[in-house]
Amino acid sequence: MLLTLLAFSIAQDQLGFREREIECNTTETPRAILARIAPTLDPTSMRVAVDCEYHDWDTPIGTARELALIPPVSGG
Amino acid sequence: METSILFIETEIVPPPITLPSREIGACVEFYGIVRELENEQPLKALEYSVYEPMASQQLARIFDDLSAPHPVRAIVFIHRLGVVPVGEASLFIRIFSAHRSEALAFCSAAIDRMKRHVPIWKRAVLDRVRV
Repeated sequence: MLLTLLAFSIAQDQLGFREREIECNTTETPRAILARIAPTLDPTSMRVAVDCEYHDWDTPIGTARELALIPPVSGG
Repeated sequence: METSILFIETEIVPPPITLPSREIGACVEFYGIVRELENEQPLKALEYSVYEPMASQQLARIFDDLSAPHPVRAIVFIHRLGVVPVGEASLFIRIFSAHRSEALAFCSAAIDRMKRHVPIWKRAVLDRVRV
C-alpha cells in the first residue's frame, strides 16, 4: 500500500524532503520504515505519528495513510 | 465549551471580545512574544511551522482534557506561522470562565502541554541566517 511520509523541522532538513509517497505493508513498524528509507536517521531523537496520532515506533502501522516524523516540538 | 483554533501567517489581531454567556466573570488573555535573546543569541525573528491537522487535533484534545479540572466556557487560540519578528506575538490565547482561577489555571496548563506535545516548531532567524 502507499503511505505518505511527512518530515518536519530538523527531520525535513535531514531527509531533504517534506513529503514523499512510499510503498509499505501493514505489518511494517515505523522503525522498520525509517530504517529502510533513512537508515542514518536516529529514531530516538524524535517521535512518530500515524494518521495524526502519536504512535509507538515498534507497533505496526496497519492500514495507516500517513506517517509523520515529529522532532522535539517548540511552539509558543 | 466553545473552541476556536487558528494558525495564521499574518500579524495576530485578537478578535473582538464577545461574551459566550452572561455567566462569564473572567476573561484571561495571554500573548507569547518573540524576545530578542534566545539561548543568549540575539535574534531577528523566529520562524514557525506546524503539522496543522495533528496540531489542531492535539490542541482540541488538550483543551477538552483540561476542561474537567478547570471548567472554562470558551477558548480562542491563535498561533502565528512563518517569520515572526522580535517584539511581535507568535501566540494568543483568550479564555472565558465564570471565575478567574479556572481561566488562569487552564491557560497555564494548556501552554505547558502545547509546548510538550503539539507539533509546532520554531527556528531562530539571525541576520540573513536561519539556524
